[in-house]
Amino acid sequence: MLANVFVKTTRDRWKGVAIGVAALASLLFFGMSVYRDIDLSVYTNLPEVFLTLMDIPKDADVGSLAYGAIYGSYGTLTMAALALSMGSASIAGEERKGTIGLLLGNPKSRVSVLFAKAASLVLLLGLGSLVLWGAGVASAEVLSVEIGGMHVGALVFHMFAISIFFGFLAMAIGAWTGSPGAASGATAGIMFISFVGAGLFPVIEGWENVAKAFPWYYFNGSRPVTNGIDWGHISVLFVGIAIFAVAAIVGVNRRDLKSQTVAVTLVDRLRNNPLTHAAIDRLAGSARVSRIWIKTASEHQGLLFVIAALMFFMMGLMIGPMYTLIDEAMAGFADSFPEVLLSLFGGGDMSTPEGWYQIETFGMMAPIAVMVATVVIGSRALAGEEENRTMGLLLANPVRRSTVLLQKTLTMTLYGFAVGLATFAGVAGGSLLGGLGMSIGNIAATSLLVTLVGLAFGAFALALSAATGRVRVAVFGTVGVALVLFVLNALLPFNDSLVGYAKISPFYYYLSSDPLMNGMHWGHGAVLTTLIVVLVALALVLFQRRDLRQTG
Amino acid sequence: MTSEIAIHTEDLTKHYGDVKALVDLDLTVERGEIFGFLGPNGAGKTTMIRTILDEIRPTSGSASIVGLDSHSDSVEIRRHIGYVPGDLAMYPNLTGRDTITYFANLRGGVDWSYVDALADRLDADLSKKVGDLSSGNRQKVGLIQAFMSKPDVLIMDEPSSGLDPLVQREFQALMREVISNGSTVFLSSHTLSEVQRVADRVGIIRHGKLIALEAVASLRSKGIRKVELFFDSPVDASVFEPLPGVDDVAVQNHHVTLSFSGQMETLLRVITDRYSLVDISTQEADLEEIFLTYYRDDANEVAD
Repeated sequence: MLANVFVKTTRDRWKGVAIGVAALASLLFFGMSVYRDIDLSVYTNLPEVFLTLMDIPKDADVGSLAYGAIYGSYGTLTMAALALSMGSASIAGEERKGTIGLLLGNPKSRVSVLFAKAASLVLLLGLGSLVLWGAGVASAEVLSVEIGGMHVGALVFHMFAISIFFGFLAMAIGAWTGSPGAASGATAGIMFISFVGAGLFPVIEGWENVAKAFPWYYFNGSRPVTNGIDWGHISVLFVGIAIFAVAAIVGVNRRDLKSQTVAVTLVDRLRNNPLTHAAIDRLAGSARVSRIWIKTASEHQGLLFVIAALMFFMMGLMIGPMYTLIDEAMAGFADSFPEVLLSLFGGGDMSTPEGWYQIETFGMMAPIAVMVATVVIGSRALAGEEENRTMGLLLANPVRRSTVLLQKTLTMTLYGFAVGLATFAGVAGGSLLGGLGMSIGNIAATSLLVTLVGLAFGAFALALSAATGRVRVAVFGTVGVALVLFVLNALLPFNDSLVGYAKISPFYYYLSSDPLMNGMHWGHGAVLTTLIVVLVALALVLFQRRDLRQTG
Repeated sequence: MTSEIAIHTEDLTKHYGDVKALVDLDLTVERGEIFGFLGPNGAGKTTMIRTILDEIRPTSGSASIVGLDSHSDSVEIRRHIGYVPGDLAMYPNLTGRDTITYFANLRGGVDWSYVDALADRLDADLSKKVGDLSSGNRQKVGLIQAFMSKPDVLIMDEPSSGLDPLVQREFQALMREVISNGSTVFLSSHTLSEVQRVADRVGIIRHGKLIALEAVASLRSKGIRKVELFFDSPVDASVFEPLPGVDDVAVQNHHVTLSFSGQMETLLRVITDRYSLVDISTQEADLEEIFLTYYRDDANEVAD
């Protein structure tokens, strides 16, 4: 029976891991072939602070650049996200689906089910890591890139450890709460803060040791690709993993299992309180269900709140004053920055507050934040109702399929703009707090462009959702396409003959005009808007023609 | 097309790849009747309903509801119908009242006194979150949202699943009431006893084909009876099987059950000539037996 839970979980999950690993392996190959063709001498004069932040070793060469950029950042985030999704679904996922009772109707304990799920997580991530290791060595071999003295295996092993760390953290939270949403949300938040913190603090003089508080530090703080496995750091991660495993076992045994998770929110409590009943009932009851788009918006308000708060405080307000801390260190290097290199990280010039914000906030985090909001709504908009079998009931009312789709598109658009607005307010506030004197208009322009690029991918998810009725296809399809287009946009400009092809990536129309310095590029805004309109129109056509799915 | 017809399908066909879920279905449901749509699991009942509601599109053929084309006029149709999907699912985080309000808003309003009356009759609790309700109580919310707009046509797929017998009875009374006010009920079910109790006509579907279409009254008047016979010694099935009007012979030692249509005298004469009859009981066959009879005929047809 244990073998069956294990085998079933592995069978359900191997495809996601396989797709992620295959994408990363091909990105590595692509990245390495691009790096091979460019002149790396630009790296030799780089300031150390910059190298630290971007995770590039001092004696950078083709191999270490490729491993650092592809495996060290995207790769590890991807693997950790896969582990997180498996971990949070382990017990809590079965509870939400209502299958836990059936599963435990068999003569197996809760702990043995948890063990089977954990074993499957470790196996799949382990196999994935082995493949990445092999792909790392093989790519270098095929492209004749010299990687002597570089420890690909050590990097991948550290990657494996940090992924399992976050996977088990999610599993422990899920075991205690029974809520897969809480497990994945909290873990993703911790992972995000940890990723930023471990990258940021080592650059700030006097604050270097703060980085050790973040788990991510134990992934790359010791530079495993250069220095090999750091057993001290690895053991820190494994102690964490063991603690989470024990916490999960204790957690899953101490509470009542849920038959179907219905969250009791703060609003529910206020609604049941006689003092606040009348007002809240209007707001949470009749107002919430007055329109399709309002109801859709109410379903993901927690997610929106977390993302907007993160962007406003962590990535907005706090980044400004930090610039004043590193300002000194940066001042001398303004001229030594090769422009071509910086475009890889969003084209920011670290010696200016605009460049600082571009690298810290707008380059990667802001598009990810907007996309999380838009892609979640876009992919769940239609396929979610189909998989939950509520679409038939909804469409038994006199509303057109197109009305449902457009109202949900409206919600998605509002969510995108809400995150964009939070980013704008945070960055503008951070600029004021730090006395950086950045142009408010340019911050607004950049925030608008990032909102549009996020909405473009939301619309892509919507089209996939409309075409297939499957949430997973929409989510993984969009994330995969976005990852590839992001890297293409970052790397293609390095090759003179391929530079024009960067224009096929929507990300090109976001930062290539350097909006933080130059203000709004209306032409690029128009390209993104057109793309959004075309994708929504496509979604409309696809959704009209299709048989609705009845089951998930 | 006259508005006297509630639901009409013509050569309605739906294939999923090689699977023929519906085959040339011709069906007309009159205004003001309760139509029972019977068939075993997987016969095509739900596919038929989802097709006429434009959730899925027919491979060929067409359908109309109250004279409106089920594809091109689908939105207008939905102003006239109430629908209870099979295997009902709703929004777990909304209360029953929120759910009703949501659908009422999409319909442009609802008579709340009627909603409350329905909730009262079905003993439904609208203040709880749907996700916290048992499946029967959830089903009640589904029934209320279907009945609340006083629709011309009620289309319900296995609507009594999970309801306790008392609520089932109330639900059947409710169906008869809306019929008397001129509505039409299309009731898909595999619960024969329920259909037998409320329906005016039944259609029987199997493997996507409509294999029988009859008034419940005339089905009964076919006079099929279930006969049980007890003898003082073991008997042989081959004696009963060739007799005219005899079907479904099951012999267990001294005990025989069979279904019989025709004059009882002919049956008794043959039997008493051969064996010594100890006891006999006979009762009117219910739809189940009639239903099974149809199915066997259908199976034989396929075998031929």
